Amino acid sequence: MKISLRWLQEFIDLPTTDPAELKRVLDMIGHTVEGIESLDIGWSDVYVGRVESVEPHPDADRIRVCRVDSGEGPKQIICGAWNFEEGAYVSVARPGAVLPGDFEIGRRTIRGVESNGMICSEKELGLGETHKGILVLDGEPNIGSKFDDLVELPDVVLDLEITPNRPDAMSIMGVARDLAAFFEVELQVPEIEVSTVPGTTPIAVTVADEEGCLRFTAREITGVTIGESPLRVRHRLTKVGVRPISNVVDATNYVMFELGQPLHAFDADEIVGDRLIVKRAASGEEITTLDDVERALDETDLIIYDDNGPTSMAGTMGGARSEVSEKTTRVLMEAASWDPVTIMQMSRRHGLLSEASARFERGVDPNIADIANQRASAMVAALAGGEILDGAVDVVARSVEPSIIELNSQDVERILGPGFTPGYIREILERLRMSVAGDDPMTVTVPTFRPDVTRPADLVEEVARIHGFDQFGSTLPTGPSGGLTAAQRRSRTLLHTLTGAGLSQAINLPFVNPDDLDALGRSPSSSALLTVRNPLREEESKLRPTLLPGLLNSVRFNLSHGLTDVGLFEIGKVFSAEPDPHDPRLPAQSDRLAWAVTGGVGLRGLEGAATAADGRIAFAVWHLIEDALGLDDGRLEQSTVPGLHPGRTAEALLDGKVIGYVGELSPGVGRAFDLPGRVAVGELELDPLLSPIPPTVFRPPSVYPPADFDLSFLVPYSVTAREVLDATVDVAGELVESARVFDEFKGPGVDEGFRALAITYRLRASDRTLTNEEVAPIRERMIGAADSLGAKLRGV
Amino acid sequence: MEHVDTLEQAMADAPAVIDAASTPGELDRVEDQLLGKDSVVGHVRRSMGQIDPDHRPTVGTKLKEATSHIEQLVAIRRSALEAAEEQRRLKDEAIDVTLRSVELPRGSLHLIQQTIDEVVDIFIGLGYQVASGPEAELGWYNFDALNHPPTHPSRSETDTMYLDWDPQNGDEVLLRTHTSPVQARWMEQHEAPVYIVVPGRAYRKDTIDATHLPVFHQIEGLAVDTNIVFSDLKGTLLHFAREFFGSQTEVRLRPHFFPFTEPSAELDVSCFACHGGEPGCRVCGGAGWLELLGCGMVDPNVLEAVGYDPDEVTGFAFGMGPERLAMVRHGVASMRHFIDNDLRFLRQF
Repeated sequence: MKISLRWLQEFIDLPTTDPAELKRVLDMIGHTVEGIESLDIGWSDVYVGRVESVEPHPDADRIRVCRVDSGEGPKQIICGAWNFEEGAYVSVARPGAVLPGDFEIGRRTIRGVESNGMICSEKELGLGETHKGILVLDGEPNIGSKFDDLVELPDVVLDLEITPNRPDAMSIMGVARDLAAFFEVELQVPEIEVSTVPGTTPIAVTVADEEGCLRFTAREITGVTIGESPLRVRHRLTKVGVRPISNVVDATNYVMFELGQPLHAFDADEIVGDRLIVKRAASGEEITTLDDVERALDETDLIIYDDNGPTSMAGTMGGARSEVSEKTTRVLMEAASWDPVTIMQMSRRHGLLSEASARFERGVDPNIADIANQRASAMVAALAGGEILDGAVDVVARSVEPSIIELNSQDVERILGPGFTPGYIREILERLRMSVAGDDPMTVTVPTFRPDVTRPADLVEEVARIHGFDQFGSTLPTGPSGGLTAAQRRSRTLLHTLTGAGLSQAINLPFVNPDDLDALGRSPSSSALLTVRNPLREEESKLRPTLLPGLLNSVRFNLSHGLTDVGLFEIGKVFSAEPDPHDPRLPAQSDRLAWAVTGGVGLRGLEGAATAADGRIAFAVWHLIEDALGLDDGRLEQSTVPGLHPGRTAEALLDGKVIGYVGELSPGVGRAFDLPGRVAVGELELDPLLSPIPPTVFRPPSVYPPADFDLSFLVPYSVTAREVLDATVDVAGELVESARVFDEFKGPGVDEGFRALAITYRLRASDRTLTNEEVAPIRERMIGAADSLGAKLRGV
Repeated sequence: MEHVDTLEQAMADAPAVIDAASTPGELDRVEDQLLGKDSVVGHVRRSMGQIDPDHRPTVGTKLKEATSHIEQLVAIRRSALEAAEEQRRLKDEAIDVTLRSVELPRGSLHLIQQTIDEVVDIFIGLGYQVASGPEAELGWYNFDALNHPPTHPSRSETDTMYLDWDPQNGDEVLLRTHTSPVQARWMEQHEAPVYIVVPGRAYRKDTIDATHLPVFHQIEGLAVDTNIVFSDLKGTLLHFAREFFGSQTEVRLRPHFFPFTEPSAELDVSCFACHGGEPGCRVCGGAGWLELLGCGMVDPNVLEAVGYDPDEVTGFAFGMGPERLAMVRHGVASMRHFIDNDLRFLRQF
């Protein structure tokens, strides 16, 4: 909300007008200043003058010769405007004055007649664009006084962020009230003088929806003349961002900014049947609002009807049909109090976020409605003429009483710490215009303009706010010992292991495009995907059941930006429309780890990485994870997974349970995702990986020499390397220190359907040197074990 | 005494000959020439038997002296030549240290992850634990338990993503709009004292732009104990701010409004770049302060909702955005960078 400092000063005698200091104070009392705009005077030497005489110019028809007194006695000034006569008060740029745009005013002669300065228009003063003719001032301002004072310049406009709990602060009065409490100075409430004439408006008001409308006041002003508001009113509204419209409409906006009560002026002659009814709309009804938009109503909308149907939308925007126009002579001034939630929902659904709705949805105090109505009616009478009828409408559907709260000083000290005596608490609350009875506990009566204060906790906040958040010290609680859990520590290990291996962490939005799932060959039935009921965009409607599409798209993003070696991993949730095993009220959601690697991997020389990613890299990542996390019971089993290369894919098992898959993307999927090279991928459930494991038991490294030997087997395709290694190691027992395949060969010299696997074994005992005699039978048993799998010893 | 003279002459001649050898091979030949069987010294050695016994000790002594003298000179020369040879080899092996001819490529943790880990570690140092919870969440935990009235605007369909899912208890399931529901979940499961931080994702119906993502991260903090007061909130956040932004950092709390805290505040930290008031500072724009996070004392309604007695315990809570922290500290210009997964971005951190 914008607020003019000069306008504010009408309500409070501020001890400082320094904008930086005011910002500090307003920030401190919770009305954060988001912007400070200095409004400077755009001219020099412009004074208030009175036109003493107007004569025709002897040699020109379109201009006139005026004698104007701007404090230095009558001076002759030539003027081309015709919208004034003798006796008019005007703004005069004396010779030597400078107007906006560095326009210097001198003494000059126009068609033989001397002109001592210029009578200014609003446009020439930079105050407005549209005005025709010169600026004629209202009333009888002091001749010779500086014109600057009339438009209250210089001025400062502060843009305040008013929090949603403070309807009262959406006004100059409310901000002044808080500042008065802070500075401990008096609040200057404007006096409202309403002079009325006998008579009662013929318009009757019925509130048929007591939930939606708390109070409805209406007052008729007859005999008004619609016109422009005086300069000062227009200028004040312009400063706070409101466009002046007409004297009647400006009066409603002016009072809204002053007191926080939005008002609406009806053209009383356009209210059909002389009655207004407040009720919910029927669906199918329509209204054309002030902005000439036709709006479809539904049964949650709160509408003001006359005999012709909807004529105004409560608290958000008036209707075009009963709008005040140039022809209006009878005004019905409405000041009502509406249910905040109704207004909030209505303004949101219709996209009508107005100054009025911003106030009503916070909750305007119903007890201010009639005061504001009187103020606005009096202003209409002053600006537009007319008489206020003394018979006013005031329907109180629901009355709002002040909150009465019992407060112990202990309640305050428990939250704010020591030092808050009952006397000090009372003093602060009274500065906030609350009344306090009793000592400790004290009974606090909260004015109805503070609907946010209903509980002791709310009073504690008020005490803290006026005491000043900056007055509190800084202490640390002595909390118990905390720390990461074992699983959280293992998660850190996992992350650092993967980055150490050259993979970078990606974070994708957790949505999925069903086309991407199709491309992966994994389109689940539409019911299996967890769906957002009210997405903002279609792309954000389906929650991902797998991390893979996001990662593949990220890989493509990098390739398309010229990178060639891309290794990414992601940790995040996947979702499905199944009950969650931990909480069946919720849909299933679990954390996963996935990776996607393409291009060069590992150690890089000048010519690039030595290894290009393919399925083997995916397996290597799995083994790295196993190793880093100390997973002794992990295993890969040849398998097929949709979207992955049928011959280069494994299921990953941990403790015998499948926790994910690892392998190479199938070429078709690669093409669908625009990934030309081979892509190593994997996706694992995270929780099983992070489950705590028992500590590794130390085995002393043997001090005895090893027995090393190699065996080369002809292995049928149906037998895996793992099986050969397991079988041969099993029969050797504890003595095997390591067993590793060091060569794999297919082709000439190897039978069709077989491959040659060369394995190097190292045996070592912990307590003796192994002899040839001891090793030879073991070696034979190993050969026998392989043989029973169908793997023949080769070339011996 | 002819032999003695001969040996003395050999000793005198040796240095020049030895120094003339310019490679270890040449030195081998020189050594043979000086000490081998055809050398002067070798000749004397062989003829020792024929020497007059009276002179023998004198000649013998001289022979030893000459032999060891020459051997020593050869050894010195040898080590010099070997050292020179090694120098030459090392020189030949020189590598241009500015050339990254071999690299061990390392990946990066996402900047958001790094930020979260850093914040979490600061709070672990204060005795906090790390909690987490579901992202598809019941309306009860996301709103009701956190003192959001049924009509609170953030519950609206325009702000919050609701899921096609019936929890069968009259509630609704939504994508949590903050990590705060974990407050309520944790307190339901644990007795006070509670000191937790909750990093995680949150969802709001925002259009992607430089300062908004529909899915972003939050780090929630909660402390509930028997004697927590407002200054504890301030002191805790001051400690955090100094650890994260530097020891000169100051903080200030401004009153604000959140449904689940009372009093509520926003925390500003003094600008870590200009330390307050460099006009046009690239970080704070000259304001001197940076808006950082929302916080406050836990509203008694929240404590009651989870079965705590607000007369027994008090607490504070805060919520910060790692994206915001990272943008402020590292000058990241747009939120979009956080979801592009562009390695040229990721590897900067």
